[in-house]
Amino acid sequence: MKQYDVIVIGGGPAGIAAAVSANDENSKVLLIEREARLGGILKQCIHDGFGLIRFGEQLSGPEYAERYIKELNKRDIDVLTLSFVTKISKTKENLFYVHIVNKKGVDTFLTKALVLAMGCRERTSKQISIHGTRPSGVFTAGTAQHYTNLLGELPTKECVILGSGDIGLIMARRLTLEGARVIGVFEAKNTPSGLTRNIHQCLYDYNIPLHLSYTVTRIFGEDRLTAVEIMKVDENLKPIKNTEQIIKCDALILSVGLIPENEVAESLGVQLDNRTNGPVCDGQYMTLIDGVFSCGNALHVNDLVDYVSENAEQAGKNAARYVNSDRCLININSSDDFLYTVPQKLDINQNNSNVIVYFRSRKNREKTKFVISVDGKEFFSKKYSFLRPPEMERVEVDFNSFNLTKSSNIEFNLVNF
Amino acid sequence: MNVLKTNKKLQKEFNGKVYAAIEDGCIILRGELSEWNDVVRACQIAATKYSKCHVVNDIKTSPPLFSVAKKYSFFDNSLDGRTPDVLIIGGGISGASIARELSKWDIDILLVEKEADLALHASGRNDGEVHPGIDLGKGSLKHKYIRKGNKLYSKICSELNVEFHRFGQYACFCNSWAKPLVWFYCLHRKYIDGIEDTKIISGQELRKVEKNLSPNIKFAIYNPSAGCVCPYSLTIAYAENAVMNGAEVSLNTSVLDMEVDNGQIYKVFTNRGVIYPKIVINSAGVFAEDVAKMAKDRFFSIHPRRGTNSILDKKAGKKMTAIASVKDLSIHGKSHSKGGGILHTVHDNLLIGPDAVETYEKENTATCRESIETVFSKQKMTMPSLSERDIITYFTGTRAATFEEDFIIEYGRKTKNLIHCAGIQSPGLTTAPAVALDIEKMAINLLSPIKEVKRNKEFNPIRKGIPSLRKMSPKERSEIIATNPDYGVIVCRCEEISKGEILDALHSPICVPTIDGIKKRVRPGMGRCQGGFCMPLVSKIIAEEMKIPLKDVKKSSEYANITFGCTK
Repeated sequence: MKQYDVIVIGGGPAGIAAAVSANDENSKVLLIEREARLGGILKQCIHDGFGLIRFGEQLSGPEYAERYIKELNKRDIDVLTLSFVTKISKTKENLFYVHIVNKKGVDTFLTKALVLAMGCRERTSKQISIHGTRPSGVFTAGTAQHYTNLLGELPTKECVILGSGDIGLIMARRLTLEGARVIGVFEAKNTPSGLTRNIHQCLYDYNIPLHLSYTVTRIFGEDRLTAVEIMKVDENLKPIKNTEQIIKCDALILSVGLIPENEVAESLGVQLDNRTNGPVCDGQYMTLIDGVFSCGNALHVNDLVDYVSENAEQAGKNAARYVNSDRCLININSSDDFLYTVPQKLDINQNNSNVIVYFRSRKNREKTKFVISVDGKEFFSKKYSFLRPPEMERVEVDFNSFNLTKSSNIEFNLVNF
Repeated sequence: MNVLKTNKKLQKEFNGKVYAAIEDGCIILRGELSEWNDVVRACQIAATKYSKCHVVNDIKTSPPLFSVAKKYSFFDNSLDGRTPDVLIIGGGISGASIARELSKWDIDILLVEKEADLALHASGRNDGEVHPGIDLGKGSLKHKYIRKGNKLYSKICSELNVEFHRFGQYACFCNSWAKPLVWFYCLHRKYIDGIEDTKIISGQELRKVEKNLSPNIKFAIYNPSAGCVCPYSLTIAYAENAVMNGAEVSLNTSVLDMEVDNGQIYKVFTNRGVIYPKIVINSAGVFAEDVAKMAKDRFFSIHPRRGTNSILDKKAGKKMTAIASVKDLSIHGKSHSKGGGILHTVHDNLLIGPDAVETYEKENTATCRESIETVFSKQKMTMPSLSERDIITYFTGTRAATFEEDFIIEYGRKTKNLIHCAGIQSPGLTTAPAVALDIEKMAINLLSPIKEVKRNKEFNPIRKGIPSLRKMSPKERSEIIATNPDYGVIVCRCEEISKGEILDALHSPICVPTIDGIKKRVRPGMGRCQGGFCMPLVSKIIAEEMKIPLKDVKKSSEYANITFGCTK
């Protein structure tokens, strides 16, 4: 049985970056990817805007992935593509068996540390309680993108898009460029879910209307979708009676949220945070199971791939440096003003001098201070002229300087100034 | 029932708008009402449970409420002039199981199904429970077949290579005072009605086995013989085995009319030509009444009853490995359905439902929010930790109920070369294996005077089926991958389905090269992402294997295209 220091699961932007950085720490690394090619979802993201932070350039998804794949190929990293992880189990010695299946059959590897970089999946129509018939023509935005960009097939001629998540916005533009008519983007919330730049570049520049506080409630059509019913919603996102409108179209495209993929993590007993839907982790991005690290969109849904790479590099590096030792975990308590914060814990036995904290505000806010206090005393703050839920924030924090102890009470707060 | 009494009741309730008359041994209801629920109510007043004297509903509605079978706009002559010994109308569990049992004989069997695949209505849209019969007393056909059907499941599923587990059923009660009543009920069921596996267990015993069931449950009726099966897998398996043994299955084939003379069906008109069958079996589900009418043998009516089920993520499947439901004594006896429950499926999901709603629309399988809410609020009494958040999909089916709420398994009353297998609602899936054996005998009886009927010497009851790799041991899995590397390429991540399994489905005896056809056979798209990741991949595999352009890969029917051709 082949043995590794670090096995990275998932060959998207997070997995590649994690594998590269783990290898740079002189560890023996295996990267496992279930598809035939590396790059993950970037392969179908042919629009630009990737890499502004990392490279100071506007790259397309495949170009961004290519840069990392090049780095990967320069190194002595084992890569298995078209290989699917069926099971992971822990040994008594705190090592992990990773069981895979591929064209050669079933195989098992042993590793000291694991990096889970499986990305996320899209929320489906059934998860947001859309009812009616079950015709063809209901796609998640990513699926529509796969048909359009990878298979070169047009999934719609006239569609309604539900949800203003970034992929939905990108697809609104993409389908318009392909000659399809996007009747409108409908968003249940009263603010857009996608990045402001995408609202402008993908909708307004193409005269695609954005309807806030609307949702799709029913689907019509026996064979192919023929129409959808939309309704206005109240502030609790509940449809308001007698606001039904029928819109004729041939497709409904959904961009209603992403869910980190953590089924493998859960099978190992990794505890998830119900705010991020990703694992609870410490400042090293290690989950509550020793030796299991998480990064990228599997940890929490990022807004930019640049942050995914950065976070994955950290996780990869930490996985390579991982030695099984006692942890002393303390909670980071973040207020309800946050949609979420990452990490959720700190291991004070570790060096926490440069922990990257990610957070999203629950609401649109102006002039807000992000404050870290320990036992009621403010230790760190950063000012923002505005905060928006679609835009993730990133802060580097030196927790070592706070003189943390086992009984320290760390709090994250958002306060107006 | 005394028709005068019936009319008195109808007069009282509907002010003379509806009246009953006995004609040809049936109770015909005529008149005019505006609401469908009133029509159902009127027919229910006239009907006697389990009676062979059926209510025939001729009540008009204003505006008219009726539902016709989906007609196909395409016509060909592929079946024109066919002269099968047996023509089976309907490719649900009834038709498929009958075709398989008849294929033991050296006769020409043709099964026609109007949809693009088998089991697209009630047989594919139910909870898959193999019932123990605890709610059935003597006197009905449902009861006649239930134990036999239940017992046959082990054999039939092993012959047809269909997964089946006897998970056991708990009918739970929250009121201690009901225990003596239920105890008597169980004794009766066990010793008089022959439901011999019935026992009562305490709430504590129950929760030792199923920790997540409600602490309010005081005791439960336990039937270990209850089981779960995937209902469409079984239907497809039956039909495939029939085809292997010489039967023909024609999909997308709609029966449009019949020519009947002298009590004999001579011609059956379809969208694929005229068929001249020796005998006809009516297993047309919600359309059985329509087929009976075409055959000039309409002596019953079907009133469709919708039921919606939800499927929960496999993570929720870990909460329980049985079938359970709390019986609310206050509504006992008023509902015709089993009242729904929670069921651990053979695929390790949880299934919640169904409810029961009367509808005039035979094919309206659209779901609605209210159904899900009703079912969940009810089943949270069984399992408090049940959460709508775990829903991955939901679906609605329509039960083909008669007003007598029993099956109709008999020769045509006026038309002689006809057998009805109608009114098949719950527990029709359970009874199907037993009913099929009886219908086999009836059909052979009908055929014998017309032609010499011999055994099919080549009959093979064993269907191998498509291997399910995720369930194999690592050694077995490696061995089979060595014979075909495609078995090692995972296409559907949620259900762990390989390309090899998908290709096998495309080469199966009844190939349905659509997204739904493949999904029903080997399950890509059945998991938590609902095909978000694998649908494009499966489309591509179908296109390549069938050598068709991608735009010709359909979701289900001919008109359910997925894409519109190449991008710019």
